[in-house]
Amino acid sequence: MSAAAPLNTPRCRGPSWHALRRAWLRPHAALVGLLMLTMVGLPVAAVAKARSVLVLYAFGRLLPANIEFDRAFREAISTTGLPPVSVFDEFLDQPRFANETNARVLARYLRDKYASQPPDIVVVAASEALLFLLQHRTELFPRVPVVHAAVSRSVLDSLASLPADVVGVPIEYDFSGTIEQALRWHPQARRLLIVTGSSTSDRRFEARLRAEAPRFRSRAAVEFLAGLPTDVLLQRLAELPRDSVVFTTGYFEDGDGREFTPRSSAEAMARVASAPIYGPFDTFIGTGVVGGRVPSFADMGRQSAEIVSALLAGVEPGALRLPPVMPNALAVDWRQVRRWRIDENMIPVAARVHFRDPTLLEEHGGIVLAATSVLLLQALLIGWLVFERRRRRLAEQATQKQRFELAHASRLAVVGELSASIAHQINQPLGAILANAEAAELMLESGGDCRDELQRILSDIRQDDLRAGEVIRHLRSLLEKHECERHLFALDAAARDVASLLQAEARRRRIGLEVRLPNTPAWVLGDRVQIQQVMINLILNAMDAVAEATASRRAVVFTLDSDAGSATVTVRDHGHGIPPQDQPRIFDSFFSTKEKGMGLGLAIARSIVETHAGRIWLDPIVGEGAAFCVELPLAVVAEEARAGSP
Amino acid sequence: MSEAPLVHVVDDDDSLRTALLRLLGAAGYEARGYASAGDFLLQPLPDRPGCLLLDLNMPGGPSGLELQAALRRQGVALPVVFLTGYGDVASSVRALQTGAVDFLSKPVEGETLLKALQRALSRDARARQARAQAAELTARFASLSSRERQVFDRVVMGSLNKLIAFELAISERTVKALRAQVMHKLGAHSVADLGRLAERLRQLAKDG
Repeated sequence: MSAAAPLNTPRCRGPSWHALRRAWLRPHAALVGLLMLTMVGLPVAAVAKARSVLVLYAFGRLLPANIEFDRAFREAISTTGLPPVSVFDEFLDQPRFANETNARVLARYLRDKYASQPPDIVVVAASEALLFLLQHRTELFPRVPVVHAAVSRSVLDSLASLPADVVGVPIEYDFSGTIEQALRWHPQARRLLIVTGSSTSDRRFEARLRAEAPRFRSRAAVEFLAGLPTDVLLQRLAELPRDSVVFTTGYFEDGDGREFTPRSSAEAMARVASAPIYGPFDTFIGTGVVGGRVPSFADMGRQSAEIVSALLAGVEPGALRLPPVMPNALAVDWRQVRRWRIDENMIPVAARVHFRDPTLLEEHGGIVLAATSVLLLQALLIGWLVFERRRRRLAEQATQKQRFELAHASRLAVVGELSASIAHQINQPLGAILANAEAAELMLESGGDCRDELQRILSDIRQDDLRAGEVIRHLRSLLEKHECERHLFALDAAARDVASLLQAEARRRRIGLEVRLPNTPAWVLGDRVQIQQVMINLILNAMDAVAEATASRRAVVFTLDSDAGSATVTVRDHGHGIPPQDQPRIFDSFFSTKEKGMGLGLAIARSIVETHAGRIWLDPIVGEGAAFCVELPLAVVAEEARAGSP
Repeated sequence: MSEAPLVHVVDDDDSLRTALLRLLGAAGYEARGYASAGDFLLQPLPDRPGCLLLDLNMPGGPSGLELQAALRRQGVALPVVFLTGYGDVASSVRALQTGAVDFLSKPVEGETLLKALQRALSRDARARQARAQAAELTARFASLSSRERQVFDRVVMGSLNKLIAFELAISERTVKALRAQVMHKLGAHSVADLGRLAERLRQLAKDG
């Protein structure tokens, strides 16, 4: 340990060492040292019973590298086929708590904690953990074998020699592999820029790179940007032509002597560079660097587990056959892949891709598949239902259209029935007009002074003409074929028109039509003509009912009442009435008690009333006759609307 | 017979009635309007030649046909021209069967209307003339003494003077004198005339 002692106090080597250590090791984060408890001197039975490994991590518990290492390590340990091994974790929480005092406190704590049950092996993850352990090994876990992980070969080289029971596979940074990868991903690249710094270790990297660079000259022009002041460097990087690729190790010190960490310098470069940047360190991932060939922590965890298993199985540390260095794996930042339009197909499956949110399919394949199937089925179902709904709507529209047609046909029939009285209503004024005109002619022929009389005649002619026109207007509105309309209309006015149309018919049939309408308007929302049709239908039915009655009973009473929420039209007669057995069926289609009846009138009436959210019913009068009632909901209207409505 | 005819117009439609009255007036007729059958019946009917222009379909009260029937029952022999706005065949047939002169559909042309009225009035004139003749005949017949009636009855039955004298137990000469008296009173010039008069009187008595 004495040889290592000076190295165990990195601070005395000055800031550059400290920075170096952080830059190289924090990235790897994690790993740690380990102490291995040798089983030397312990009874075999006891060893078999209580084996434990302490993993001492240099950095924090939540460092992704640590987590990755830990997962792979535990998994590998559990599948070795050995009896169960307890794995304890301790964290040095560097670099935040990196100072001598803390180190001493921590060492004391670990010593006390594990005094009663010392671990069989200690694993140290990352250089800081190795250095810590080597410094405090004597007081902590003397003679416990140590497995190191995530310690770079250069650090190990700087430590002179390790004790024989401190073993592990070092890591090594793969500059050429990273550059090769970069050139593969950017086939159009014709320039390779290599950025290094001016500190001693930076110069060491530069030297190594200059040695490796000739390999790439055939592929691209290689240019070194070594030891430039950061300002100048960033300026250069910002103006790189499109066919450039940058490789950097980052630097600890720039041309102006300003200090950096490799990571922070790489971050500064990536922020401005107009070309993709690659680097050999895992720490660069996330700074804007595309990636590089870097050591894998999971591999390190598995490798460490293998060594631990072997040691636990009794293999002497010196007898282990270990690879000289950890293989590196390709690490890549997915966002940069996108940014630089790297062909995704060229990214090897084994590459560790960072910052790619796994797609749903990757993460929850089964669930996604199931959910997709459910969604698909649902979509199909919805589609089918929409189709069905559409079909039904079309059918409903067709039905609706048929209802209109039927209602219209029925109106035509009604008007046909009324033709005599309608003719009368029109012929009266026409007759008067004709007689007046001829009288005027005769007066003019006679040559006397008849100006006053002629004036009266002309005025009467105009009146009669308007009277006939009014009849025709009513008639046309009844006959017109129109889609069901929804307007606000005054039910009382509609009833009044119906009454005037049917008065003539009543007169023709010598039936009294008594009309009782309110003076206040009753506003209803709906189709005026259709509602009028219902009223006409009921009144004509009532007239038919009293057709054979004696003079005193030949009367139909047509009333309209309205209360707060609804208006009720009642048509009452004292005719033959409706036999009780027929009453339930009178609103059915094709049910008729009349010889000539089609049996559609009341069915149509009901369908019209129901479309208006109203109801129609028969109120049999005790004794003789019948009363048909139609109740319609009144519309809630603002005063302005009423004023604006005709 | 020198009196001008009077046309009675019964129609509940004020406008049409007024127009008809104007037309008739302009055509030179005296006309009087009534708004209903009832109105017409309530008015005293002057004994003047005339006719009735009657709307077939009037609301409330008697219809045109009913009014016609009522008038006939009262012995009012005014010819009736019916007007209708309905053009209703059944009613028109009934009206004509019951003696209407004409049955016109509204709107009716003035010429048609006036011709129909003319026909009605001439029928009325003929009827009035016939009635006047009958009345005269009846009056003349009434002026016969009982002995003269006995002779008249037997003459028209074809009895010879001799037989009449025997039956009435009077002289044949007296029979001849009574017979001449009857001929004179009744204005007959021959036995054949007497026979026609007797037939007419029988008819009148039967209608009476």
